[in-house]
Order: sequence, then structure tokens, then C-alpha cells
Amino acid sequence: MKSSRFIAHRLLLLLSAVLLGIGLVQAGDLEDALKSIKKKLKEQPTTPQPVQPVPPAQPMAPTPPATPAAQPEKPKDQLLKALLGGKTSPEEEARIGQQIAGNLLGAAPLVRDDSLQRYVNRIGRWVALQSERPDLTWHFGVIDSDDLNAFAAPGGYVFLTRGLYRKLKSEAELAGVLGHEIGHVIRKHHLKLLQKSQGVAALGGFIGGKLKNENQLLQNLIGNGAEIVARGLDKDAEYEADRMGMVLTARAGYDAYALPAVLAEIGHVAKNDKSVSLLFKTHPLPEERLGQLSEAVGDRLEGLPEGQTGERRFYRLR
Amino acid sequence: MKPNFSLLYACLLAAPAFAAPGVMIKDEDLRAAANAGANAVGRVTKGATVEILARQGGWTQISSEGKTGWVRILAVKSSAQGGGAGEVLGIVEAGTARRDPGKVVAVAGLRGLNEEELKLARFNPGELLLLDRYASDRVDAERYAREVGLRPQSVAYLPNPKRQQQDGKPGQPGQPNGLAGY
Repeated sequence: MKSSRFIAHRLLLLLSAVLLGIGLVQAGDLEDALKSIKKKLKEQPTTPQPVQPVPPAQPMAPTPPATPAAQPEKPKDQLLKALLGGKTSPEEEARIGQQIAGNLLGAAPLVRDDSLQRYVNRIGRWVALQSERPDLTWHFGVIDSDDLNAFAAPGGYVFLTRGLYRKLKSEAELAGVLGHEIGHVIRKHHLKLLQKSQGVAALGGFIGGKLKNENQLLQNLIGNGAEIVARGLDKDAEYEADRMGMVLTARAGYDAYALPAVLAEIGHVAKNDKSVSLLFKTHPLPEERLGQLSEAVGDRLEGLPEGQTGERRFYRLR
Repeated sequence: MKPNFSLLYACLLAAPAFAAPGVMIKDEDLRAAANAGANAVGRVTKGATVEILARQGGWTQISSEGKTGWVRILAVKSSAQGGGAGEVLGIVEAGTARRDPGKVVAVAGLRGLNEEELKLARFNPGELLLLDRYASDRVDAERYAREVGLRPQSVAYLPNPKRQQQDGKPGQPGQPNGLAGY
């Protein structure tokens, strides 16, 4: 009996040390660490420890450990539960996204230009209406940064930097950029990235519910909110978002080639320019993306009526 | 040998003194100007070798068999080593772009947004409230589209080219609006 408590305690310490010490948690590395730890545990005889009123947790249990009865469930606990379950409802998805969005805005607030923000929201919503999730609570924002970048968060949050906005030459190009980010939301790319890290939380459950670290677990899962957007998705997700961006732009009645035009424009910026350093850390290079798009498009957009560019009515920033 | 980029850019449209080799990846009309409404001044076929001269928006200027004109940006691929069309276009357009590998260039006074700032970011509920205020509802968005004459089109998602290769199927020639893409 003593030995399994000892092991659980050790694991908790290890987990805390790992999470607190490492900061930016590499989900992949932890998965491996997890597997080896779990393997070791399976070799030990385990006896249920009635420290908390919880049944002995199995690895990867769908239900999280219950909190001690008296404690009201905090929003973060619910989020963790949702992530643990691997299935998030639209509401939970939006809460996760809101957490990320709120933190991102903490780093770079909205540009103070009502007309700009309303314009971007209108165009964004119109493009989103062409997708299979037209009625999410879509939020669009231009954030105060001179870097070139755009971000999406689960549940319908889409941001682009003022720096990127300034590079755009037409409403169609704006639609293209927003369409790409909308694609990420539709395909739940960021949500899936988060759910992959739930291996860590599952371990927390297995240990038996000592929940002092749950908030820390969640914090590290989402990673202070905004950190996830700096992690980058895999290349295929980016290529997929590019394909979807072009199609959504076309569906919205715009010139489908506006997104490739933006990519080419970004490709024109020197690779070592600071304004694109995070972008190029988290995305394939524009030339790769253009190559992938060429291949994907082929002849498929022939016969489409010429879409609008909306160049003249495009809201320009000073 | 490092070409003088500024000079290159200046000469670019006057005479194609510097052109990058490219190849057409599909049949395209060669247009007089960088828009679909412009007259076709010729046609280039898939596989044809061309010279890439410039880019404007979603269009690329090329010359082929003595004729110069514009084609869609995605229709032509660079044959230069290392790259997609984008890379060649980057060279062609280099203009005043700095080329100093290994040195990240930052301009003082510009607001960046780096990983550190993102990591340390604190939740800002006030900004979220502001964000909410700007949201556009469906009716608003649809009204706008009507007002400016945006006409929705039915377009299928594009399939993943990698998937197709794995299935061993050659890429399908154009099948507009019928594909079960994703």
C-alpha cells in the first residue's frame, strides 16, 4: 500500500517539476515521458487509496477526478474536463477560444478604430457564412502590432495584426486572410492541438485527484492562453486552411486568387525581417504555400465568374 | 554574383533584362493586363517554358515565344533551383529588400508581438467586451453583401493533393463544383 502512495506522490512531484520547470511544454516530449511512466506504473500492484471519495482512476478515464465535494466547480475545471473528454461542445469550444483570445488581446489590444473593426467583422462574418459553421459566435479583430500575422482561436475568434492589414490591397485580400483563419476554426486545428496535450491531464487523473495542480495543468495545457498561437500547427493544417481560404473567398463572391496574392506579397518581405519572424516560425514559407495551392487548384476554379476585388471600397488604414 | 536588386527592379518593366525561368503548370490565356477582363493576347500551354517577369496582385507577367502578357499567379511555377514561383518572384521583386542572412532586422519604434510577450500575456476581459461590440450578425453581413453586389458562388472545397497521390490516382482535371473535397 505504502509503495503505491509513494509512487503516486513521486509522480505528482515529477509532474509539477516538469510543468513548472519547463514552461513551454512540448506535448510530444511529454507524451513519450507519459508512456514510459504509465508503463512503469502498470507493473506495480495498485490498491485503491481512499484519500478522496473517488473510484480508482484508470488511465485515460473519460471522467476527471471529482473535486472535494465542498468546492464549487471553477470555469477552468470545466475546461479541463472538456479537454479530458476529448469532446468539446460548441460552448466549451468557445470558452476555450475566449480564454486564448482574452490572453492574446492582453498582449496586443484591439486597434482603436471603430470603423475598421466593424468593417473587418462584416467581411469576416460574410465569409464565415459561406462555411459549414456559419452561426458560430464569430469575432474578428485587428490587433495592435506591426508584425505580419493572423491568428485563430477555437469557437470563432480570428485576429490579424495591423501590420498585416496594412499589407492588404483589397477587400478580397482581407477576405482571403480571414478565410484562411476561418478554415482553422472550421477544422478545429487549434482545438485538436490542445486535446493532444490532454495526455498530461490524463496522468493527473490517474494519480488520484490531488487537484492543487489542476489549474496549473490547464494553464500549461493552454499555456497562458496566448502561447498556443505561437506554437504553430503542422504544415498540412496550414495548407488545408489555405485551400479553404481560397474556396471560402470564392464562395463569398470575391476573386479567389486574392489569398495567393497576399502570400506572394508576404514572400516579398525579407526573411530575416523581424516583422515576419514569428509568422515564418509558425507557418510554411509563402513559396511552399503557393506551390501547394497551385497543385491543389489545378483547373478546378475554371469557369468561376470573375470575383470582386473590392479594391476601391477597401477600408485603408492611415 | 549578386545582382544589384534596385537596378533590377527599375529595369524590370522596361525590358526583361532579368527574367527567371518558369514553367506553365496548366494551359492559360495570356492577357494584356493583370485582370481577367483584359484581352487575351495569346495562349500558353501546360509544360511550356516561360520567363517570369513581374507580379501584380494575383497575376504574373511572363514572356513566352516572343509574346508578353499576364497569367494567373498559380498557373506558373519557377524552374529556378529551390523554388516555387514565390521564391523567384521574391528575387524578381527584391527591390530594396535587405539580404543579410543570419541577422534579424528590427526597426525601432515598431510594435512587435513575439513569443515572450505572448507567453506572458495576461487575460484582458475589457478587450473581449470591446471585441463583442464589433461582432457582425448574419443579417448585417448579408445586407452588406447585397449592397456591394457580392454574389455567393457554389464552390466545392479543394481536395488535398497529397491524399490523391497516396491513392495512386493521377490528379483530376478540372471538375468544378462536383468534387467531394474537404
